[in-house]
Amino acid sequence: MNKYVLLLLCLLVSAASAIASVTVKGRVIDADDQQPLVGATIIVPEKALEAAGSSRRNVTALSDIDGNFTLVVPDGINAIDCRYVGYAPMTVELKGNLDHIVIPMTASTTELSEVVVTGYQKIEKRKLTASIQTVSVNDNMLGSAMNIDQALAGQIAGLSSVTSTGAPGASPKIRIRGTASLNGTQEPLWVLDGIPLEGTTLPTMDDLKDIDEIYSTSIAGINPADIETITVLKDAAATAIYGARAANGVIVITTKSGRSGAPKVNFSTRITYAPKTDIDRLNLLNSNEKVDLELALLGTSYTYRENKGQVARLIDAAGETAAYKAGGWSALSSNTQAQINQLRNINTDWNDILFRNTLSQEYNLSVSGGNDKATYYTSVGYTDEQGNVVGVEASRLNMTAKASYRLSRKLRVGASLFANRRVNKSNLTDADGFTNPVYYSRRANPYQTPFNEDGSYNYDVDIQGREDSDLMFNIFEERDGTSYELETKSVTAIFDGEFRFNDQFKVLTQLGLQLDDSDKEEIADGETYAMRKDKERTTLASLDNESFLPDGGKKTASSSTQRQVTWKFQGEYSDRFADIHEVELMAGSEIRKTWYESVSSTGYGYDRKTLQTKPVIFPNESWAELYPLYAETYTENAFASFFATGSYTLLGRYTVGGSVRMDGSDMFGVAKKYRFLPLYSVSGLWRLSDEAFLSDTEWLNNLALRVSYGIQGNIDKNTSSYVMGDYNNVTILPGNTEEIISVSTPPNSRLRWEKTKTFSTGVDFGVLNNAINLSVDFYNRNGSDLIAARMLPLETGYVQMLVNWASMRNTGVEVTIASRNIHTADFMWTTNFNFAWNDNKVLREEIPSNQTTPGREGYPVGALFALKSAGLDDEGYPLFYNKQGEKVTATELLKLNSAGASTLTAEEQRNLYSYIGSTDPLFSGGLMNTFTYKNWELSLNFVFNLKSYVRCTPSYNPANYDRGMNSNRDILNRWTSTNTNTTFPRLMNSTDRPAEYIQYAEYSLYSSLDTWIKRNDHVRLQNLRLAYTLPSELTQKASMERVTVALEARNLFVFGADYTNYLDPETMGNEFAQPIPKSFSFNLNVAF
Amino acid sequence: MTNKILSMAALSALLFGTASCDNFLDIQPVGRVIITTADDYRKMLTEAYSIVPEDRGLASFRSDEFVLDASVSQEDLNSYLDIWRWEDVSPESTTSTFNWRSYYQVLYEANYLIESRDNITEGTAEELDQLEGEAYMLRAYMHFLLVNLYGEPYTALDDPYSSKAVPLKLDTDPYSVLSRNTVGDIFDQIIRDMDRAEELLNVDEWETGYNYRFTTLSVDALRSRVYLYMGRWEESLAASRRVLEKKSELADVSTILPNHYTSVENIVALEEVMTAYYVRAGKVNRELYSLYNSGDLRRASYYNRQTASNITVAKGGSNEYSCSFRVGEIYLNAAEAALEASTGEDALTAARGYLLTLMQSRYTEAYYAQRETAVNDMTRDELRDEIYAERRRELAFEGHRWFDLRRTTRPQLTKTYSGETYTLEQNDSRYTVRIPSAAIEANPGLAN
Repeated sequence: MNKYVLLLLCLLVSAASAIASVTVKGRVIDADDQQPLVGATIIVPEKALEAAGSSRRNVTALSDIDGNFTLVVPDGINAIDCRYVGYAPMTVELKGNLDHIVIPMTASTTELSEVVVTGYQKIEKRKLTASIQTVSVNDNMLGSAMNIDQALAGQIAGLSSVTSTGAPGASPKIRIRGTASLNGTQEPLWVLDGIPLEGTTLPTMDDLKDIDEIYSTSIAGINPADIETITVLKDAAATAIYGARAANGVIVITTKSGRSGAPKVNFSTRITYAPKTDIDRLNLLNSNEKVDLELALLGTSYTYRENKGQVARLIDAAGETAAYKAGGWSALSSNTQAQINQLRNINTDWNDILFRNTLSQEYNLSVSGGNDKATYYTSVGYTDEQGNVVGVEASRLNMTAKASYRLSRKLRVGASLFANRRVNKSNLTDADGFTNPVYYSRRANPYQTPFNEDGSYNYDVDIQGREDSDLMFNIFEERDGTSYELETKSVTAIFDGEFRFNDQFKVLTQLGLQLDDSDKEEIADGETYAMRKDKERTTLASLDNESFLPDGGKKTASSSTQRQVTWKFQGEYSDRFADIHEVELMAGSEIRKTWYESVSSTGYGYDRKTLQTKPVIFPNESWAELYPLYAETYTENAFASFFATGSYTLLGRYTVGGSVRMDGSDMFGVAKKYRFLPLYSVSGLWRLSDEAFLSDTEWLNNLALRVSYGIQGNIDKNTSSYVMGDYNNVTILPGNTEEIISVSTPPNSRLRWEKTKTFSTGVDFGVLNNAINLSVDFYNRNGSDLIAARMLPLETGYVQMLVNWASMRNTGVEVTIASRNIHTADFMWTTNFNFAWNDNKVLREEIPSNQTTPGREGYPVGALFALKSAGLDDEGYPLFYNKQGEKVTATELLKLNSAGASTLTAEEQRNLYSYIGSTDPLFSGGLMNTFTYKNWELSLNFVFNLKSYVRCTPSYNPANYDRGMNSNRDILNRWTSTNTNTTFPRLMNSTDRPAEYIQYAEYSLYSSLDTWIKRNDHVRLQNLRLAYTLPSELTQKASMERVTVALEARNLFVFGADYTNYLDPETMGNEFAQPIPKSFSFNLNVAF
Repeated sequence: MTNKILSMAALSALLFGTASCDNFLDIQPVGRVIITTADDYRKMLTEAYSIVPEDRGLASFRSDEFVLDASVSQEDLNSYLDIWRWEDVSPESTTSTFNWRSYYQVLYEANYLIESRDNITEGTAEELDQLEGEAYMLRAYMHFLLVNLYGEPYTALDDPYSSKAVPLKLDTDPYSVLSRNTVGDIFDQIIRDMDRAEELLNVDEWETGYNYRFTTLSVDALRSRVYLYMGRWEESLAASRRVLEKKSELADVSTILPNHYTSVENIVALEEVMTAYYVRAGKVNRELYSLYNSGDLRRASYYNRQTASNITVAKGGSNEYSCSFRVGEIYLNAAEAALEASTGEDALTAARGYLLTLMQSRYTEAYYAQRETAVNDMTRDELRDEIYAERRRELAFEGHRWFDLRRTTRPQLTKTYSGETYTLEQNDSRYTVRIPSAAIEANPGLAN
């Protein structure tokens, strides 16, 4: 500290002792619009000072509100530098009249732009202490991605993006620097031009078939063509200003704005062809194999769903079941034999029926421009993506209008309006997901034909998945008779104003309004499987075995509205003292209110042609409760926050910063003192390359060291230490409806704040005239008192409760390399490579004493545990390795009692499992290479996720394999008395080894074997683009500025760990997920 | 000048923001509440009443009351067939399950009320006593239902304190992991809870529509049944007597079903024993139907006979027929307890008295006269059988039969479906229902 003071004194003294000097006066303006630039730095280079023999090291000035500056320079200086954020630095020779120097600055277009937008502030990159990364959005990055979130994979080190379904417009799962919290959302906060967006949470997909639910996040409403840059805030120093919601990182979207000058018109279009999915990879049984399998099973003691499948039905219809069981094939009549053989010749191409080739289209048109008083940007865009699954489709129409006005020298206001309408269509699937087309493609029998010879529907009665079912399903009928559509209309409006009092002080305010209106319609006609299922459930003997639902179909219409208003007000102060001290302070407040309401109503007896429904006469109130015709929800939340940040920079190379935020919200049932939660961060930056000892190193352009530390916190809003209830109505006895209070979760007075402490450090390195830029970041995030839902013994009356149960650490290293490998007049090759290693470890986990699966202490949060399989015993039942390495049966392993339950204590059961791997990739990243030759450009964009595992659904369950449905060929290799050399177990029946049978049938023991945990590492060529820009001589004749045509291929291929029997590595774990489409696009871009 | 105005505006905006912040954040969420007042607690208790399971009705499928045949819909077979044929080892996954958590959820709310009695605001002492008394009754009754479903029958055990049944839940601690208590311990706790409830309850009768709630009279009604199930005949008889002293009128079954919630017999109209689902799924066992003589008024009112093989239950299918305790049962409890209480002739006389009172209101005059003579001539064993038979007829489809079979003779039962015969052996272990696997998964200690 004393040293600093001494140093300061020395500098001041030396400054005062300068002998001869010249006063330079001038004005800094924007070369484009001639407007003054406020706060530009005018500086005499240190080397020039040395050369001139001056003892001063730091001679600088700032331009004032009119762009004017005055700088006293020592004698012998003949040039000064001028810098301004977002503009290219300039060197101005000192000659002529030194009282009226005009410095016209041009906006910088270099890759390393000089300013970083955090949503609250614009920070000069030279002062940036936090870990923030920006990518500019362009065609190479976007390709044919419909939404911006789909294009982020592999772009930013530390941002992992995992696709869970290939449905059009579906959002991937995005995590920044690993999983931080376990409760509630793990998704980053999305910010659009300074306003945090609502409605960005993805469905949790707790149940695999939830993938059928169509949804559209508000991110899907933003047209990627309107986006200029994406900035990702990663460490606490960057995110603390956003408060508790930013614990998972922040993604800031900055949209395009107009620049003053002549109007610019941009038009682009993209036509995309996606060939249909090929389900050959699933390795399904063909008709011959399936018929043989059904015949073989009918002769065995495996009786589960014995009457399912066409073979059993044919034999049963002929009354020959007993004969077949006794005498086999030859005991069947020749007629039955012929009928069965007939099946072998049918091989329905389900691939062709369920999937299709698609053509998708996209059009964007934008006009922008302005003058010195106002700038504008307007655009319109339309995109329509067809899914490979027939009936799945997403489209979006966007309109954007932005304007910015300079009302006076001091006051600037802006307004933006983003409006869009999007429509998502999908197939209406039943509650059990049996009619999901992707699932059905795995289950439909190859000998099942969709139509009879006379053209009528041939129904599949094996579909239902229940015994003795006769519910009829036909994919064509279902497609025609049902519809499922989500229409979202969304408007986001942002108004902002900036008032500059003087050179140092300005205030900014921003008002944001978001309105998302969704209407969902689910329609099923009377003659559909969906409706038959409903009718069956409501059939009553008292109504002569008729359903009380009226004839006809049904329609469920749900609409939901999400609204938010956010108002920010902040003051900023920045100043420079004695040439070497730079101070920036910002403080402000933010209030936010959100509303969410939803209404859902169902009509029965619906007819699409007449739009009429029929009244439902419920037999009694309890039936009425099961088939609600109307439901409504409403929630309202309020948030108030105060925040401040500050930074101090010494000598332009030492910067320390800090931020603090108090977040308050309406936590019902929580004492007022707990309403506000303080969050803070401190950070520092040392720019080594500006130090004297490195200033002679010519090859080194930039070397900086960053370090930050911060604390963030979170509390569950729904848990209170009081018993809280929800109002409801109930009718216990007829005619007396009473209000009740139902207690949905038990109170928990022991619940504490969840805290995350983040330490982050990084090095930025630029060499050889910035030909190679390297950033390496290291971070350590320690989460303690993490909140998560815990399974309770049901004797508590509840299923689960939120408790502070764990602490967790995420350690990671991120490497980003941007290099210009070859650069000649005609040819350029650049590479962007990023790579992240994230090691997640649960440090402590309080395992409830009733948990029978292992705790994750010492393992990653996505840990998968399994029982080690040891082949089969001589009866074809699975064997397991116990912890002593001995091969044992399930009975021996679990010490089963006669009822099939384990008599081991929960702890003993936990110890049976072994750790296999984590569902979260250990390594992730991307590699983008761009080659430019004259007017040609080729870019290849690879993304990778490595060292991750997934638990797959077993090919068949040995205790309840349903012979009525198709499966992959593993079933053919099952253990039988003649096929003993296999790893696939026998089909079991309940009478042999009943205790084990119960374990396989009820407790799904088979899927906990390590056989079903597979690696899903993959490297995907996400985007390949070849572009050609027409020669400008040619285009200018047509009065066009620039014309580019491009061919693109998306998801051209994927190298993965073994994914035999599955469609892609990404969707291995979910049989309902749509495969990731492969596509080819033609892209045209015209600028006028 | 402009600067100043703007500075002032900015400053006041900031100040305003700070000052009004607390108000801004005070949002009373729609539909949520912290339970504090007596009124809130009543609403919570109403919720507890509303989630009491109808498992006594589901247990009818295990007994000999229902028949499942080819006319039953697939959906219903999926739900009930494996319960009906005692297929506990590998039931179809769609099979209905006997409840577990619902009982404990009721217990949570009852226990919460008991624990926070001193913190309830508003409400008179009487009101609060009544609430607490009802909570004790709910606690006693839930444990009673649980022990009878998942525990071995008390009367079949040499030592009720050595046979484990279900965990007793007497507090609201969400962190506790319980193990099973013995049948004896559970019955002891039930008795203690009833005693405590008796001290607190002060409402003698609820108006119609609210008569699902426990009253002063309900304590002895429950005692009458609990002691009967324990074979403590004198205590059961004494409780029945006290009930009948206050309420002895029997319904006219030709005008109203006795288990109707407005019938004069009603004591507690809580459980909707025969839900619409159960009524839809099951047909009345013809053997049971044949036990009703043509002179028995109940035959026409209890059943709808479409054809000889298609007889459906009339005394259920809606919440009108919610019934947990009624006078008819008390007469039968009294008759049985009186008979067993002592070996003397006066025991028979007392038993005959209760039985005949009930019979008189259920039979035509002519048929009653015939039965009266017969009953009066019966030996002790014959009379016991007659009481059992009358109990089977009177309380059919009111959720008693399975439990009566359990506590009495546990006979061999056989059922036939689609050509296959299923047998429940005498004293079969399946007379006790298995604890649901979901409960064992959440608390593996329950397997021991």
